[in-house]
This record gives sequence, structure tokens and C-alpha cells, in this order.
Amino acid sequence: MGGRLAIERHETDILILGSGGAGLFGALHALQSAPEGTRVTLAVKGLIGKCGCTRMVQGGYNVALGPGDSVERHFMDTIVGGKWLPQQEMAWRLCKEAVVRVRELENEIGCFFDRQPDGSLHHKAFAGQTADRTVHKGDLTGIEIVNRLMEQVLARPVERLQEHRAVALIPSRDGNGLAGVLFIDVRRGSLRFVRAKAVLMATGGGPTMYRYHTPSADKSMDGLAMALRSGLPLRDMEMVQFHPTGLLAGANTKMTGTVLEEGLRGAGGHLLDRNGRRFLFDYDGKGERATRDVVSRAIYAEMRKNNASPGGGVYISMAHLGPDKVRKSFKGMVKRCADCGFDLAAGKVEVVPTAHYFMGGVAVAPDSSTALEGLHVAGEDAGGAHGANRLGGNGVANSTVFGGIAGDAMGAAAVSKSLRDPDETVLEAAAAGVSAPLGKSPAPVQPLRERLQDVMWEHVGVMRTRAGLLQGLRGLSEIAAELHEIGVPGGSLAFNLTWHDWLNLENLLTVSEAIAKAALARENSRGAHFREDFPEQGDLEASYFTLAQSGAEGLTVGREAVDFSIVRPGESILPAGEPESLVAAS
Amino acid sequence: MSTGGVMTVAVWRGGPEGSAFQEFRVPGQKSQTVLDVVIWIQQYRDPTLSYRFACRVGMCGSCAMTVNGVPRWTCRTHVKRVAKTGRIEIAPLRSLPVIKDLAVDMDPFFEKWVAAEGRFHPQRTRDQPVRETKPQTRRRRQADAAIECINCAVCYAACDTVAASPDYLGPAALNRAWSLLNDDKDSGTEAILAAAGAKGGCHSCHAMGSCTRFCPNELDPMASIAGLKRASIAAALKRKG
Repeated sequence: MGGRLAIERHETDILILGSGGAGLFGALHALQSAPEGTRVTLAVKGLIGKCGCTRMVQGGYNVALGPGDSVERHFMDTIVGGKWLPQQEMAWRLCKEAVVRVRELENEIGCFFDRQPDGSLHHKAFAGQTADRTVHKGDLTGIEIVNRLMEQVLARPVERLQEHRAVALIPSRDGNGLAGVLFIDVRRGSLRFVRAKAVLMATGGGPTMYRYHTPSADKSMDGLAMALRSGLPLRDMEMVQFHPTGLLAGANTKMTGTVLEEGLRGAGGHLLDRNGRRFLFDYDGKGERATRDVVSRAIYAEMRKNNASPGGGVYISMAHLGPDKVRKSFKGMVKRCADCGFDLAAGKVEVVPTAHYFMGGVAVAPDSSTALEGLHVAGEDAGGAHGANRLGGNGVANSTVFGGIAGDAMGAAAVSKSLRDPDETVLEAAAAGVSAPLGKSPAPVQPLRERLQDVMWEHVGVMRTRAGLLQGLRGLSEIAAELHEIGVPGGSLAFNLTWHDWLNLENLLTVSEAIAKAALARENSRGAHFREDFPEQGDLEASYFTLAQSGAEGLTVGREAVDFSIVRPGESILPAGEPESLVAAS
Repeated sequence: MSTGGVMTVAVWRGGPEGSAFQEFRVPGQKSQTVLDVVIWIQQYRDPTLSYRFACRVGMCGSCAMTVNGVPRWTCRTHVKRVAKTGRIEIAPLRSLPVIKDLAVDMDPFFEKWVAAEGRFHPQRTRDQPVRETKPQTRRRRQADAAIECINCAVCYAACDTVAASPDYLGPAALNRAWSLLNDDKDSGTEAILAAAGAKGGCHSCHAMGSCTRFCPNELDPMASIAGLKRASIAAALKRKG
């Protein structure tokens, strides 16, 4: 191939990137709040409603609608769970609007969450929370939410750009805002620039740069990589949440890393080392029922002590609870394991900590706006709501709440805004950037992807040190240099997955550097971030968050003080006399 | 062939303009799904191979293909279940336009989902409380029994009626319509019955049962369609009466 690809031009009023909870709610709310005739376009890397991670939500949706629960209590749990790092106004908005959003999902979108026998919503318990507040649809909550949202969007006049991969945010010629987004039309292998008055970036995070990871395979941090290249500040980039029990199925298996659900440990499942010994009580009095971060670190420590199973993890064992009972209580998980050749009910299954969720993201205002006029960011692409750790059930709440807020803001502003002319130099450079591998001699991309995953797992993973992080950064630059030497086969660019593998890897490398540098900058241990050389949490009053930004000096990371605008460490906004927890002690 | 060894994999290559099967030799391993095989071919043997997948655990319904003549989720199909002779043949789903190789255009499938009124018709707003609904009523259990569809189009590709009559809405869309018809929260009963009773609706189904036989989620779209037929006829009689 070689040479420069032609750029087709297209226009809309409101452009949404992504079709998870944030993107779909963004589209619906934009239609509701914008004047009639406003053009709303939904662009997505895969198919609408099918790619992305909201669909994969198992646990449920945190909402303060249960008996005795309150928005204040949900907020306090979010702040304490986030180790005092959340952006407090965002966390407040999350908890407050979740109530409206769940009613909207039930009453307007058509979701049906599980009920108590009396017909009221069922709220289940989730670790780290002081009330039973997680509404759910069995253990397939995400499918229910995304299917229902998808139907509503498909039935409305939303322009669809499916299998359109966003590759660059293009600023206006005058530098005063965002002009639009450059895409690759995956099916045709061509470039398309879409101008819009307002853009919602909701591509989802998804830390797939680790050897073991849970997110959907289409995820490659495209949104955050684009944001970094545009010079936007990203916060909390060191905060990668690991789930303790990802499936281990061997090399070259896509099932490896996928989640075996939290409930297995909650129900009494045992974690065993290679010799069949339960080890978690060496680390925490709650044993296997300890929180995700504690269990992940314990497993990782055992693996380093050479106590790992043959596949390089530990075993989860449920058989002592009675195989028939396990088959009944965890039907979906047992079937999923069986389809891949594992017997979860009666045998032992190898598991390993697996990168699950990204708390970091673009620094946004609580109304989803950013430092770049015209750009809104919501969902996992936005940082701040979760701080150092996300509570189970706050992820889908976050994407749906802030996607809706962004849609409202963009729709309301649609009248007064106009289209901006793009900076053609930036547009040309972006087109040249994505064409870079097309003229070079091809080589397999996957071995480099695996090297990235090994580097991040070994040096920027569950437990970190300064020396390890520096070694990780060296590894990242070596891989980046090698990637830029290899090409992908030209010929037809239509549905050329290898080209996208190359671009995926480039984006993952960009964001991985930010993770490693932010991890270096945080010299304490909070939530998901654990520094063996700084194991203490540090002074809570002096809490800071990290801000990563690309500029003339490359990617740099600074620190900023957390603004305790609603509550200070050691204090609570719960009324005096409220019990600390509404959950019966187990 | 499932542990070690090498299997022969014939992959359908091409698009609307023409096609042919192409053979690859793929090393077997202990834990390996058909999707793993497809990905391995693209990553190590032929970088131009096109296909689609996303979640890799049977939640998104993007990776369905025809494997040895049968529509399946490739992410949840262990090689040893299909490679009994050491050979696997992989083709795109039937009855949907091919974009390239193993990737099909799913738009017609979703257009029919919408045409079947397969979306919630609200009565309340976000400003009102969530409706109390007892989970054990007959209607709610019927709605729930049909709800866990992930729109993978396996039933659609398995259905001979879809293959023969392009205007037939197909099992997935009608199954969704049946779920909504049993949902006390939904106010679209008339519209749903009109769509179900129209040409290409539930009465086109010949009850051959491939949908129910092949649904990877063990749903029973044929029973849903039978329910729609009864409701549609009852509504027609009522109108006449």
C-alpha cells in the first residue's frame, strides 16, 4: 500500500463514540433534550450493543432504593471504598442520579430487575458496602440493561456508524474546541472524518494490556489513547482493578482471564495452592471472603513463592459444597467452564488475578465536560468517580448515570453551538499515523502484544516497586520501537483485523506508559495500587491524585490535592446515630 | 485431536463476489475453542482473515458461525466437540449477507427485531416509582423464560423458514415480542399483536424447531412463537366478535 489514504467527510450535530451503558444513554438523552431535527450519530468499533463491557456486567447496579438505605450512605461507601481519592462531586452525582436512572431503566427502557416475592426490587449484598443495594437480573444484569437500551436506540432515528473505529480527536482550526473525530470504517478499510458540534467519548476503558484480563476483546483503550494524544489531562491512571479469579486455560485461549464470579468465594469456595493448601487465612482473617484487592495480592504472593498450580495460578475448589448444589447455584459458570473442558462443580479449576476495570480516565467536570470545548467524556473513559477502587455495582451505575448526563448537556447545547472547521494539519497527521504500518514489511503483531502483556503483568501489575516500574517503562519503549518497525499486509484494507491489531497495540502502549508513570508518581498504597516499597496508605488528609498529560516533554505525571468538598477523612455525612452498617454481620 | 496433534481447518473465504474454502493446518491443544482456532489462523497463518468476536464468554453473541454445518457460538465450542474426525469446517452464518470471510452483516436481523415491535413500550416515567411486580405470576414467568436471549442469530441462521422466506421476522424477534406481550409493564400489546399477525409474522413459522434445538442459551423460541400464534388468533377472533 503505502501513501496516504483519502479522507471522506461527513457531518452530524451530536456524535457519540461507543455503545455501552454510557453511549446508549448518551444517544437517548441527546434525542430527548435536543430540538427536533437534531442529528444524532452513534459510532461504534463493533456492533451496536454487542461490543464493549456493559453487556458483561454480572453483579448488578448499586442504587440507594433499598430499605433504610440513602444516597448519603451510598456516597460514603463510594468515598471510603475509593480510599478518599474520588472526585467527591462526581461521586455524589453518581449516587444521587443512580436512583433516577434505575427508575428510568425499569419504567422507560423496559429492564426487569429481580424482585422480592412481594413484588419490590431485590437488593443483594456486595462486598465493601454497608447496605444491600445492588439491583440485578440474576447474574446477567449487563445483558438485560444493554439489550433493552439497544432496542430503544435501534427503534429511533439515530444514525449508525457500526464497525467504525475512532482514531483521533481533531481540534478546530482556531484551536478553540473540538471539530470532530477521524474514523476508520472497518468494513471498507477507508478513513472518514465526522464533524460534530459536540462529541461524547464513551469507548470504555478496559485494561487489556495485562497478561490476564477480563474486558471484551475489542477493548484497547482507544479513547484514553486519543485523549492523551490530544494533550488532555488524565487522572488516577495508576488505578487498575484486578479481579482475583480469572480462568486459566493456557496459551492462545481467549477464555483465559475471563471472570469466575465473585459469588463463588462468597458462597464458601476455597482457594488452594499447588499442594491443595488453603492459604488465604495467612493474609486475612476473612479468608477467601476478603475483598478483591486483598485476595488478588495473596494469590500473586503465593505464585511468587513457587506455590503456583501447573498453569501458573491457584485452584478454586467448590466440590466440598456438594457438586449438585454448585451446579444449581452457579449454573451459568459451571456451564461456561464445562464448555471449555473444566469441571467447576466437582473438580478444581485454575484461576489467576485478572485485570478487570480501569478507575483512571480523562479528568472531567461532574457534568461530563472536559478541558476541550465540545468534548464530553463518560463511563470508564472518565476518571474520578471511583478514586482508588471501584465498588462492585458502581461500574454500570457510573456509565449509565454519566452517559445520560452527557446526553442532556449535549442536547441542550445543540441549538447554540455551531460546527467548527478542523485543523487540517492535525487531520492529515492523524491519517498518516494510522497509515504508518501499511507500507512496511509485515510481521506478526501478536508476539509483541504478548510481550506487552507480560511486561505489564510482571512490572506494572498487582504489586509494584520503583525498580520494577522503571524496568517496565524500558520494556514498553522497546516494544513500541519494534512495533513501529513492522507493518501489516496491504492488499485489501477491508475488515483487515491485523491492521487493527497493530493500532490496538499502539494505543495500549500509549496508555500503559501513563499507567506506569502514574504508578511511579504515587508513593503510597491505596486501593488497587500497591507499592511494595511504599506499603502504607499515607496521610489521608494530604491525599493527592495523579494527573498524566502528554506535551513537548513527552508524557509527564503531576500530583494534585484531593478536594474534600463534601466530606473530610474521618468524618461522615450520615446523620448522627445512623448505624455504621445495615448489613447483618455474617 | 484435542490434545496436541494437528487438525485440518477449512475456512470459508470471500464475500458477495465469490468464495471458496481454504484449508489450514492448526496445532491442537488441551483447552481450545473454535474461536481460538480462527484467531490463531489470523494471527499466525493468514493475517487477511476476517471474522467478528467481542466478549469471548458467550455474552455478546458476535462470534456465531457455521461449524461443520451447524450454527454455534465459536467462543463456547470446545474443539473436541466438533473435531471428532480431526477436521473442522467453518463458514459464516446462513441467511445473513456476508461482509467478508466469516463476518456477516447483522443489520437485517436487527431490523426485523424492531419490525416485530421488539422494544419496550412504556407506561411510566423516571419520575415514578418502579412498578411492583410479583415474580411468580404465570405471565411474569413466561416473560422471564424468553428474556435471556443475547441476539446471536444462531436460531435465525438455523431456521429453514428464514432461509426460504426473506420477509419472515424469524425466531429471535418473535421470541422477544412474546416476552414483551407477557410483560405487565409493557403497553404495546396491540402493536405487538399487529406485527406478529402480519405477513412474515408468527403464522409463517412451520414449527420445525431448529430454533429451540440450536439455541445456545437453551431458550425455546418455538414455544414463544406458538404462544404468539394463540394470542394473535384470539385477538383476531375478539375483533370479529
